[in-house]
Amino acid sequence: MVAEKVSCQRCGDSFISLQDQGKILKIAKDKGLDKWQVYFTLCQNCRAQVFAEQMIENNLERAERVKHVAKRRHERFYTIKVDTRLRTTVYKSECYICNQGCDALVHVKDGKVVLIEGDPSSTVTKGTLCCKGLASKEMLYHPDRLLYPMKRVGERGEGKWQRITWDEALDTIAMKFNEIEQKYGKDSIVLATGTNRGWVRHFLRFANAYGKQWIGPGIAQCFYPRMTGQILVIGSNALENPHYDQAECMLIWGCNPTNTWPVKGLGMMEAWQRGAKMIVVDPVFSEAASKADMWLQLRPGTDAALALGMLNVIINEGLYDKEFVDQWCFGFKELKERVQQYPPEKVEEVTWVPKGKIWEAVRMYATTKPASITQCLSIDQNADTISTCRSIAMLAAITSNIDIPGGNLISMPKKVHDRATDTLSKYLTKEQHEKRLGSKEYPFLAGEACILQPSAHNYTAWQAILTGKPYPVRAIYCQGNNMLAGYANTKMVMDALMSLDFFVVTDLFMTETAKIADIVLPVASWMERSAVTQNDQTSINLIHLQQKAVQLGECWTDFKILNELAKRLGFPERMFPTDEAYFDFLLEPYGMTFEEFKKAGFISVPYSFKKYEANGFHTPSGKIQLYDPRLKDLGFDPLPSYREPTESFVSTPELAKEYPLIITTGGRVPVFRHSELRNIPMLREIVPEVLVSLNPKTARELGIHNGDAVIIESCRGSMEAKAYLTEGIDPKVVQVPSHWPGKNNVNLIMDNQSCAPMIGSAQLRCQLCRVRRKEQE
Amino acid sequence: MMSQKVLLIDLDNCIRCHACEIACRQEHGLTYETKSRWCRVITIEPRWINQELHMDFIPMICFQCDNPICAYFCPVNAISKKEEGVVVIDEEVCNGCKLCIYGCPFGAMFSNETKNVTGKCDLCTSRIHSDIEPACVQHCIGGALQFESQKELTDIAAGEHILRMGMVYYTSSKWRLRGEKIG
Repeated sequence: MVAEKVSCQRCGDSFISLQDQGKILKIAKDKGLDKWQVYFTLCQNCRAQVFAEQMIENNLERAERVKHVAKRRHERFYTIKVDTRLRTTVYKSECYICNQGCDALVHVKDGKVVLIEGDPSSTVTKGTLCCKGLASKEMLYHPDRLLYPMKRVGERGEGKWQRITWDEALDTIAMKFNEIEQKYGKDSIVLATGTNRGWVRHFLRFANAYGKQWIGPGIAQCFYPRMTGQILVIGSNALENPHYDQAECMLIWGCNPTNTWPVKGLGMMEAWQRGAKMIVVDPVFSEAASKADMWLQLRPGTDAALALGMLNVIINEGLYDKEFVDQWCFGFKELKERVQQYPPEKVEEVTWVPKGKIWEAVRMYATTKPASITQCLSIDQNADTISTCRSIAMLAAITSNIDIPGGNLISMPKKVHDRATDTLSKYLTKEQHEKRLGSKEYPFLAGEACILQPSAHNYTAWQAILTGKPYPVRAIYCQGNNMLAGYANTKMVMDALMSLDFFVVTDLFMTETAKIADIVLPVASWMERSAVTQNDQTSINLIHLQQKAVQLGECWTDFKILNELAKRLGFPERMFPTDEAYFDFLLEPYGMTFEEFKKAGFISVPYSFKKYEANGFHTPSGKIQLYDPRLKDLGFDPLPSYREPTESFVSTPELAKEYPLIITTGGRVPVFRHSELRNIPMLREIVPEVLVSLNPKTARELGIHNGDAVIIESCRGSMEAKAYLTEGIDPKVVQVPSHWPGKNNVNLIMDNQSCAPMIGSAQLRCQLCRVRRKEQE
Repeated sequence: MMSQKVLLIDLDNCIRCHACEIACRQEHGLTYETKSRWCRVITIEPRWINQELHMDFIPMICFQCDNPICAYFCPVNAISKKEEGVVVIDEEVCNGCKLCIYGCPFGAMFSNETKNVTGKCDLCTSRIHSDIEPACVQHCIGGALQFESQKELTDIAAGEHILRMGMVYYTSSKWRLRGEKIG
């Protein structure tokens, strides 16, 4: 007999038996708890929600915010210690659940990791760790972890696998690569990697030592435009290093730091608690925007226009630092002339940000000193990413917020970094550099002009695989990249990968991409490896220690896999016999071996401000380059400008009639990193499904209700999602998070062909789509 | 020992990063299968008030009520309030009947589905006894969760709106919380 259930008065889920509810109501009555009556009719989730809503009751009554930064416990630093409370051995390590690199403590008991927590001795994380890092143990011991090398025994993608030894795996890879190279030529093998988890430079070293081109980790859409833009302007990385400690104003541009870079989120929130002002530029009302003093809700993809409009106001109102500009900026006159094309009235029309707000934001940013800028990858995904990133860098430059406390800091030279960056590109011939896929069209990504490590261009590489032009690409070695989830135009990526002669994937799990490989190699997670790590985006002056805590199955570290492959492929002398030998090599400039570093635990490089005063900026003029003759020589505009997205109401009005909504993709949630961690139930239950953000007005017109299954279509295809109605988005815009698998993957409908000039970024933030309710079958 | 400290939840600072939730689950071994979310962040979705858009995040955990409501419902007297203020459930005594779960108005109690007993936040008693703050407080990225003495609390929240619920003090500079204003 099924006991009769009572439904929640709010959500309708049945949650209690009639009998139990009778008991509750009786006890409540007997004990005088009647005032809570309404809660007894709600399920547990709704009780918490209703309590929270009633607590606030939308009674807006502003009081002065107390400027108090939450205290953090600081502890002494140890590399290994015993925790007396938990009776565990604790290893100081670096969390690499994402590519941030956070100090973390790994508790081990009886040979098993039992707890991961933040490291209270860290000056960077101050004892915190994000939900992803904290859940690392769930990933480590996940039943689906790959633990042994495997080879495909059925058809490609059929899912039939056979466990093999590492010897067989590596021998097969070497044999197949040699065969393909003989048959199709030297450039028919391409190496692909995912985000930096402390080993990307070692991977690049391997690629160069092997004499092959690599497809970087989506870098044309992430990191390279930002780095290239600011290096062209400032000569170094500075915009990635906002100095929150003393900032009085923070301009957060296309970024939601607590979701994407929790360490920056920590800094941002500490500054905010201290009373620093905050301006957020985002088409979506993000968590950061909800805290901001000003929220500039721009049309997706129009960042450059907004930045140029802000430069216009700063320059025309004389709000820039005249002395600094005179002494340290090159090409101010030309920039001044250029920004006259971007008066606030026109910028309002383009960006949808009211001109009054632009004025107000500019005054706040330009007159509050010091001020820092925090930016992230959304500005790497529009129609002219280099112009966008240059314009934003110029905002920091002409207000003299570069390399001062509370501004944006120029990275300190780190010798380990220099060592790791010595990636043997000398082994590539001039001809190979010229032949790199995309080198002519996108010189700042794949060609000679590239300021960083040149990478093949995605779309051009898929084309080469599919057409054999300009030359055949028949094999890919892919390490830590779920390309089918992460790259735009999923169908094209799928077709390309399926047509390869040989495809190897190294990963933690059998991802969608690994499923279509010929050989899959199991890699060690961050808790299963040691390393020397440093990350310019999160701590500009520290080199950290990562310590191996446990070993699972036959998982090898990323370093070991590449070192061993090098032995099979015949260039061991260009790589390293062991992981430790590589770390010794990295540490050599500090006169330290890895064994010694393990005792020291970290290296701290003292940092200084206004470094440019000694030797100028690292640009040809030694000054900040607002006007860039190098771009002119390459045939590009030497000044920043705004380029309308390839698909928009303005550029393609006919297409916009059929697809009347702007789709912006990639807004992140705190519980996942890119395509990872959706298989961790504890995290997944917080964000169970892919939600498309729709304004209620738009939804009403389309007959869509909150929670409805919807289909989102572009001229390229369709995907499915669940409607999330929110006032936090413009009625003409929809936002869909990226990297969901299968039919929920937004990349199914995104274009990868129309790319930003110079660097080849896909315009993932500003395309066109339409949305309709999915009818029940 | 850090007795007499209370949990301050500054709603100004919560940024919905969910670190508190996972820190809690890790510290207390609350696997997914236990279905126990002792600490949760509630979202109040964006809405317009006086031409301003507002979105709020409210961390919810057991308040350690002065006069625990759940205890009235327990037929076996497994729930008691300790001297330092924490409300605890004696797992040896708990019979898993779930009446306390249905009785807690705030949805703060959970049936541990692998142990078949009720569980809830104990303010990390084991950590407090070792002189360290609760796990949620240590990992809170926004600085919303703070573990402070009553005296410090009065300074930290002076002039702001405060709502005391047992050992939990919600504060906000924006919302007149349903409750008294002190400081």
